[in-house]
Amino acid sequence: MQDWRKYTLAFFITTAIFITAFYIAARIDSSRIADIRGAQEAIAIDLLSSEVQFELLGNLDCSIIAEHPVLTDELNSLAERLSFAEERLGSDTAEVVILKKQYTLLEIKDYLLMRQISQKCNTKPVSVLYFYSNTGDCPECSKTGDVLTYLRETYPDLRVYSFDYNLDLSALQTLITLRKIKTPLPALIINSRAPVYGFKTLEDMEKLMPELQTLATSTKESTSSATSTR
Amino acid sequence: MLTGALGVYLCLFLALYFEVFLLISFLEKKPALKTTLKPRRLPTVSIIVPSFNEERTIVQTLTSLLGLEYPKDKLEILVVDDGSQDGTRDIVAEYTKNHPQIKYFYKENGGKYTALNFGITYSTNELVGCLDADSFVSPDALTEVVKKFEEDASVYAIMPAMKVSRPRSMLEHMQAVEYTFGVFYKKMFDNIGALNVLPGPFSIYRREVFDKIGLFHHAHNTEDMEIAFRMHHNGLKIVNAHNATVYTTVPRTLRALLKQRARWSQGFLENSRDYSYMYLNPKYGNFGMLVLPFGLSAFFLGLYITTYLIFTVLQTALTRALNMWATGVPVTFHFQVPHFDWFFLNTSMMTFAIIAVMGLTITAILLGNKIVQGKLTFFSYFSYFTLFGFIAPMWLARALWGAARSRPAPWR
Repeated sequence: MQDWRKYTLAFFITTAIFITAFYIAARIDSSRIADIRGAQEAIAIDLLSSEVQFELLGNLDCSIIAEHPVLTDELNSLAERLSFAEERLGSDTAEVVILKKQYTLLEIKDYLLMRQISQKCNTKPVSVLYFYSNTGDCPECSKTGDVLTYLRETYPDLRVYSFDYNLDLSALQTLITLRKIKTPLPALIINSRAPVYGFKTLEDMEKLMPELQTLATSTKESTSSATSTR
Repeated sequence: MLTGALGVYLCLFLALYFEVFLLISFLEKKPALKTTLKPRRLPTVSIIVPSFNEERTIVQTLTSLLGLEYPKDKLEILVVDDGSQDGTRDIVAEYTKNHPQIKYFYKENGGKYTALNFGITYSTNELVGCLDADSFVSPDALTEVVKKFEEDASVYAIMPAMKVSRPRSMLEHMQAVEYTFGVFYKKMFDNIGALNVLPGPFSIYRREVFDKIGLFHHAHNTEDMEIAFRMHHNGLKIVNAHNATVYTTVPRTLRALLKQRARWSQGFLENSRDYSYMYLNPKYGNFGMLVLPFGLSAFFLGLYITTYLIFTVLQTALTRALNMWATGVPVTFHFQVPHFDWFFLNTSMMTFAIIAVMGLTITAILLGNKIVQGKLTFFSYFSYFTLFGFIAPMWLARALWGAARSRPAPWR
């Protein structure tokens, strides 16, 4: 004779195990968000410190700046984490959106600081502003992201700033307006030149960036990876 | 993709539910330890050894039967040769010269069930059993079975605990763990009165079983499963004597294993079709409500998970390959010491659900190992967890294909 109590008990225990699994996964995801927030705060402090240093020095001592390079590695590492969190939690999750906005602001600040330093110190960094969309209207964005990731791994000094075109952030929208970026995406601004649209293969990209020749190549894997490109 | 993942969650939930249910059953009624008590009365027993080209193992099988701690005048051994073409006939003829307890019969090949029926019809003893010619019994196995019959007069058939005889290769070790897992869940099926098979190695029946429900049927080459279904249909109780140990040799090659398991699985599908009215029918207790539906679900969900995994892996590989071709990004291999970062661990709910299922599976195997006092090694576990997930879907797919084409699964 079957025992309905046992059937019910087994159901409740199984459900409890599933709820526990869900709870543990959610707790770990919260820790991830906290980890990203912590990293962003650290980067924000570092950026602010660089800006203050920049202001203080006035007649800039470029050797000091060279000793304290801007935060490409940290930003790339953060991007990697954010991209992972976005994939895990979904790009619409409120916390992910906030983190992404903060990350975007840090990118813009880093970009501006880099430009100021390059003007004053007469350095020639190679930078790419990459505008993508992950709302399904940019089928080529994923491939463009792959090419940029490869380039950044090959040339650690290449500075790739990727921006979610649809992110509701006034600073980003100002940048988009100033740079006259339009859809369809992907759009690339290489070293402040006019925007380039559409997917470019690795070969095309290397032709578009002859400056890459001036950068040292990496023989080991860079710690960086793709920023969120979907 | 989302629907696919939901399907995987459903599989995990059902697997977990089933394992939890069995573990509750275990906690409710733990298997009794072996005692030295003897049965009050020793009934007469006939053991039928159906054989077909078993020259390699028949002597060991017969020797193990002669080694049973049971009075010679109460135990007869009937070797029914189902038309062997090898040296089985000569070997058994030679062997019986010194052992009058053994009777040898040769008949035209007609399938295992015909050999069993031949033996049952010939025998007149109170208990009738079967021992496949590739299996060997421990000396006290029959006494343990008789004790079980004595404990409960309403029991009509008893199945033993099965262990793999001297596993050597990885494939055999995988099966050793699988059989140990089987020991656990068979005992739990016994606890809930829902044993679903009376396997060839040393299942023993009261003679009345055959008077009440008839002899073995062809039953899609799984007569040992069909008779259990039929017994449930007729309300005849089946139990498991976990202290009666039988050792069986298992297929050594992948080909032979797939053939054997596809036959079992196809038999399950086809018997399920024949006895479909028992499914989710409270009249048949836990057998109809739990064991049959879960068995069938496991069959299809196992295939589903495999298909889903293959599809996901192929899709990812194809997308990457196409992307690489389109972007011109070369394949690069970076050799560096991997550094651990908890952040990038896969900690989805699915991961923890899989961990729970695996944890309960290991618990069940350990309990099975304890029940039969087995000696599984690390290599056994390694073989099981490495191979089973790849091999089992192959026989499931083959069985489904065979059942869909209504093609009988070959014996060998």
